[in-house]
Amino acid sequence: MNDMTITPEDKQLLDKFLKDNQLFYIADPEIMHDHDIGPRSEEEERLLSGPTDPHLINMVRGRILAAMDEGNTMIEQMGAAPGAKWGDIVASIFTANGDLSMIAPHGVVGFAACVHYPIKYIIKYWTHEPTVGVHDGDGFIHNDPRYGGIHGTDQSCIMPVFYREKLVCWVSCTIHEGENGATEPGGMPPSAESRYDEGLKMSPFKVIENFQLRRDLVTFLQNMVRDPKLQLEDMKVKLHTCLRMRERVLAILEEFGEEALTISLRQHIEDVQEEVRRRIEELPDGTTRVLTFPDSTLRENALLKFSMAVTVKGDRMTLDFRGSSPEFINRAINCNAASLKTMLLTSYLQNVWPDLPQTMAVFGPIKMLFDEKSVLNGSFETPQPMSLIPLFKAMTIPTIPMAKLSYSLPHRYTAIVAPQYDQPGTFIYGGLTQNGENVGNFCADINGNGQGGRNHRDGEHSVSPPFAANCDIGEMEVIEEELPIVRLGAFTLTKDRVGFGKYRGGLGYEMIASTRGTDMWGFMTGCTGSLFTPSQPLFGGYGPPVYPLCKIQDINIFEQLAKNPGKIKFDMLDMMNNQTVEGGRYSTHPMAMTFELCQNGEVYMMCQGTGAGYGDVLLRDPALVIKDIEENLISHDTARDIFKVVFDSDTLIVDAEATKALRDAERKSRLKRGKPFDQFVKDFVTPEPPEYLPYYGSWDDPTVIYGTSNGKRIKMKGTEIQSMFMPNPKDEKIKALEKQLASVKAELDACRGEAKKKK
Amino acid sequence: MKRVSVDIGGTFTDCFVAWDNKYIESKALTTHQNLALGFNEALKNACDELNITEHDLLSQVDSVRYATTLGTNALIQRKGPRLGMLTTMGFRASVPLARAKGYATGLPHKEQMDVPNAQRPDPIVPIPMILEVRERIDYNGEVLLKLDEEDLRQKMRELVDKGSEAIVVVLANSVVNPEHELRVREVFLKEYPGHMLGAIPILLSHQVGGRKGEYARAMSTIMDGFLHSTMYHGLGSLELNLRNTGYDKPMLCNHNSGGMAQLNSTDALQTVHSGPVSGIAASETLALQTELGNIVATDMGGTSFDIGIVVEGGVKYYDFNPEIERWMVAVPMVHLVTLGAGGGSICQYDRIYKTVQVGPESAGSDPGPAAYDRGGMRPTVTDADLMLGYLDPANYAGGRIKLNPKRSKQTLEELAEELDVDLVECCKLIKQTVDANMANGIARELRTRGYEPVNFTTLAYGGNGPLHACGVARALGVKTILAPPFASTFSAVGAGNMNQMHIHELSTWTVLYHATTKTLFRDYAKFNGYVEELERRGREDLLRQGFDANEIKYRLELDMRYGNQRVTTAVVTDLHRMNSQSDVLKLMEQFHQRYGERFGKGSQVTEAGVRINSVRVCSFVETPSVNFAGLKPEGPGKKPPAPTSQRKIHFVGHEKALDTPIYGEDALAAETEIDGPAIVVTKATTYLIEPGWRYRATAQRAVWFTRND
Repeated sequence: MNDMTITPEDKQLLDKFLKDNQLFYIADPEIMHDHDIGPRSEEEERLLSGPTDPHLINMVRGRILAAMDEGNTMIEQMGAAPGAKWGDIVASIFTANGDLSMIAPHGVVGFAACVHYPIKYIIKYWTHEPTVGVHDGDGFIHNDPRYGGIHGTDQSCIMPVFYREKLVCWVSCTIHEGENGATEPGGMPPSAESRYDEGLKMSPFKVIENFQLRRDLVTFLQNMVRDPKLQLEDMKVKLHTCLRMRERVLAILEEFGEEALTISLRQHIEDVQEEVRRRIEELPDGTTRVLTFPDSTLRENALLKFSMAVTVKGDRMTLDFRGSSPEFINRAINCNAASLKTMLLTSYLQNVWPDLPQTMAVFGPIKMLFDEKSVLNGSFETPQPMSLIPLFKAMTIPTIPMAKLSYSLPHRYTAIVAPQYDQPGTFIYGGLTQNGENVGNFCADINGNGQGGRNHRDGEHSVSPPFAANCDIGEMEVIEEELPIVRLGAFTLTKDRVGFGKYRGGLGYEMIASTRGTDMWGFMTGCTGSLFTPSQPLFGGYGPPVYPLCKIQDINIFEQLAKNPGKIKFDMLDMMNNQTVEGGRYSTHPMAMTFELCQNGEVYMMCQGTGAGYGDVLLRDPALVIKDIEENLISHDTARDIFKVVFDSDTLIVDAEATKALRDAERKSRLKRGKPFDQFVKDFVTPEPPEYLPYYGSWDDPTVIYGTSNGKRIKMKGTEIQSMFMPNPKDEKIKALEKQLASVKAELDACRGEAKKKK
Repeated sequence: MKRVSVDIGGTFTDCFVAWDNKYIESKALTTHQNLALGFNEALKNACDELNITEHDLLSQVDSVRYATTLGTNALIQRKGPRLGMLTTMGFRASVPLARAKGYATGLPHKEQMDVPNAQRPDPIVPIPMILEVRERIDYNGEVLLKLDEEDLRQKMRELVDKGSEAIVVVLANSVVNPEHELRVREVFLKEYPGHMLGAIPILLSHQVGGRKGEYARAMSTIMDGFLHSTMYHGLGSLELNLRNTGYDKPMLCNHNSGGMAQLNSTDALQTVHSGPVSGIAASETLALQTELGNIVATDMGGTSFDIGIVVEGGVKYYDFNPEIERWMVAVPMVHLVTLGAGGGSICQYDRIYKTVQVGPESAGSDPGPAAYDRGGMRPTVTDADLMLGYLDPANYAGGRIKLNPKRSKQTLEELAEELDVDLVECCKLIKQTVDANMANGIARELRTRGYEPVNFTTLAYGGNGPLHACGVARALGVKTILAPPFASTFSAVGAGNMNQMHIHELSTWTVLYHATTKTLFRDYAKFNGYVEELERRGREDLLRQGFDANEIKYRLELDMRYGNQRVTTAVVTDLHRMNSQSDVLKLMEQFHQRYGERFGKGSQVTEAGVRINSVRVCSFVETPSVNFAGLKPEGPGKKPPAPTSQRKIHFVGHEKALDTPIYGEDALAAETEIDGPAIVVTKATTYLIEPGWRYRATAQRAVWFTRND
């Protein structure tokens, strides 16, 4: 028998052979697994190993940031995608090696933080590829998150900057474009069953030569999407933004020299890493954990475990996500680890260290651990267009362990805050507008998540999305002019749907939408949190309530408003509870809806959610409770039942003594209801997830993962996770109906048989 | 020409009197309890200099014009009536949510990014005072739900019962169909007639702003309602004061649009920021009279650095949704950007980058720089300037403020230690950093509009402008700076040079080229109707103020965009009516040209469609402006007078201190030429002539800095 052992020499030969005969330049795991900045290049080492002038670097940094700011402003002013209009953009600059150095002051850091992956891919694969190459005047386009990115709706333009024939850095800009030719309009299809349903999946490729877009490739891309106008418009926007930034960088090179630029770009990220190490070192050593559960795959209800443990040791931090749900081979909600890391970065920069420079280098000293094939670390073939579900969790959940670690620091870098509402609460739309345009995109309401309660005050209502600061939810008059959406409920704060606490979460608002003026229009939504509370509360507060999607169909509300409006109020609870639209078919659903056509005048309703509560409700100042009543944010019942405040319901004057007594009684009652932890574990904890529960992830032991694939419960080692396959809900429904039909038929046959016998 | 113009600021009331060929500047402290007292004092100072009585002066001037920050102060102090608001059912939280980003409006970038500490400003209209009425109009003006008058009456009563002192009405899409807003007023006045004691003013949003966008329009209406009585009483008392002192013409108010109007044709919101905007108007006048071409106007004061742009050829830069205090509004206001860089900007060690960070935090005027000796414990730009030798401790701000160098030294030494440099090096770093910050700000402002700083002359005014002008210009790559005359009352000067102007605008969905149907716009009558209507409104405003129809001119501005872009580009066109396809094409070509200049050749996307989003007509009457002769150098330069002293001064880029002559007020004599390094100290400011720069004074006491290295 032949010896099958591969010697090192054989391995070398095989590697060379494979390299020379590569079928497909798939995303490179070596690049995708490394979120840290790369080692210094030889030149960087030469320049930075000696003394540098921090003040000169600061001057150059100021100039670079001004150039990025100018780029960002250009995107804002020229961009056509709704995302560009409402702030989902960024302009950024990378070192010659592709490490993210700086972003524009107002940009979305997550967008830029994942572009170093495609740049490194371009450097590795296309620089020396004779059919591609990287030259002055070239530009690349990219959107596939598997090569680095958040999701396929975000398109980046990447341009190398050459100075005296040498590549000195890269500039890039990204816009959330929305429509990308996916199986449903708007670029985020919850119904995608494979990655081939995702629409455009652009690995980084050259689309610009000689500083101009190649019209043949632009046409190809236009041909792949529902909104060819948008595709062209924003490709031009990104090209000209990169050109402008390039021009500014060249001016900096002329003024300060190449070495100054190289040093500044690299030193910037090394400085940031040093600061982050210092900040980690300030934290107490130890481990703290948090769990959360998306409650749906957007096609069926399911509890997907999202597990996070933060360990601090000296100046290093480890984020451990092992034990989380397995991936789904035919569901849209997987994300890959690189995407997840950028959103975790966003969370740290938005909630923990908002004063830090916005760059990926922040995560250099942070190690991350994932199971292979987990929903947070999905494999290449998994569909990922609705990765927002785990990503929104990633952007909010770290505030809990970090609050615990930071609480006792002598100096806090910002307030301690409970998690923001963690779902992308917005309508996604598609169809033909009243202006004769084909569109597919999402509404700016995604930017209006309620903030969590804080250590010093309530959360702000609908303050920002979890992924960026200072974003815009827009104005209805402007939106309705472009789209056939009538927002009957434009901005109404959702009464009583609050994350209660000593400091409550900021509220979200109701969105009551209908359509008018077109026969070809539809909506979809992509949220979880209709069964299991979304954001986790902090220090004894309440989580947000669960939110349903509500519909009133088979009617035209505008006809009724015109003829007999009766008592119709544009208020979600009132419409659903009192069914004021006559003849309507009322229904409630999870807030995960695949695309469906909406007839003129049908009503779709959903909510932006509240942030989680902070602290015990019994500690809430009664004056704040009464203010909430006055502002119609909570009902009298909530004030009494939750906050235990006694007051005169006409005058709203608080009875302080009675309130104290009621709160004392509640504290006693809690003690009575409570039980020792060991007892609770004994009574409550089962060795395995109950059979009836569609549960995904580890139970007690994080190395053992549970899941249900094709209807069968599976128990796997964390190191050997297999992908979950989910039956098509329509097939399941057909199967159930067929079964029902067969049973009815059998009964009928039996009856007939009986009747025959009797005859 | 005889004219009085006044800028009533938070601290000083500045007065500028043009009396034939004499120009008098005077100042007095602003008297907030009665603005007339401060004005009278400032006027008296000017009259003393002219040796005439106030009555004689006021009875001979052609006009008295006011710019004021009164409105801004009232907003900061929340001094105004209790407002109630009626809005469309379903829109109640539009104002409280402030488009989500409202928490960040008006804040420096660092605070905008600190979301965990986000805090929206205390509302002008608290949530309980906002009530919904049952009605709805769609984007096209069609009534979807008729106004429910029974419901309306109930809501009105509720607001009145809750103590509303004024009511604002903001109904969705009222700018395309004001029917419901007008009816609300009709019903309200029937229930609560205006002739009754305690009558409640009611403001309709479509009459305050003509553009779509319910939030920004609501805030404009709210601010108008909130400021109305304060402004009315403040300015009304001024007008009465003028009447009693011999002035019998209408008092004129400067607007933040860059125009002005009589008090009875001015709404409160138009006066907010009219002071700084007047400074830009003054810059524009100087630019025209000196044929300077493009100008970037910079005003460096104690806490901030304001930048305005004046472009040759009449292109106007407006903010269509300017931020006032902590809110966004929807009135066209002359574009003005403010950076956190001034003499009071705090300097601190930047631990991350191991360098110095300057601003945006400011010590303001209280406690002010450490050198003020008023308790300021943190070093500022002024402290560094003092240590470098630029400022005379005994003679700062005309001797009004005595500086204590020991204090500066003490605070700066701590910073120098952290930076691991000596004191002088630390101060140079501060100077260099703040100059670079300002230069970056100017560059950004110009370049995002498609301009290059080298094609602009920098106008430097404000208390610290001439001190930092050379440093900023060097960082910017600019070779000429003009420090204008009358710098200490510059806004008042500008107030005297505005035209009587009214701006009216409306939102429109005018598709010049439809990309899907591939058709060009043909409904000329509709477009011309818009323009005619806006001209009519402007004409009526001006006729009401006594102008002849023949004197009225119109400027047509169109906000245009490609496809579905968010931001529009304003195109000023002389094509006042559209009558043919070639007119449509001409308009698109103008847009194409302007857009290309701004964003780069080839960035245009005509193929995605071209649309007009709003139509704006500026109706104005040109009034004679104060003519400043002697602004430009004439003939050969003259030798400077003898220096008053000489000191060792430190400059960026020079290792050792340089012997530097110090000149006094007499160095402002016409055609005086001084090569840097040198310093000229006047009552109003300090001119720092850095090495490599030349100073030249003109007959009108303007100062030109030019690079000579």
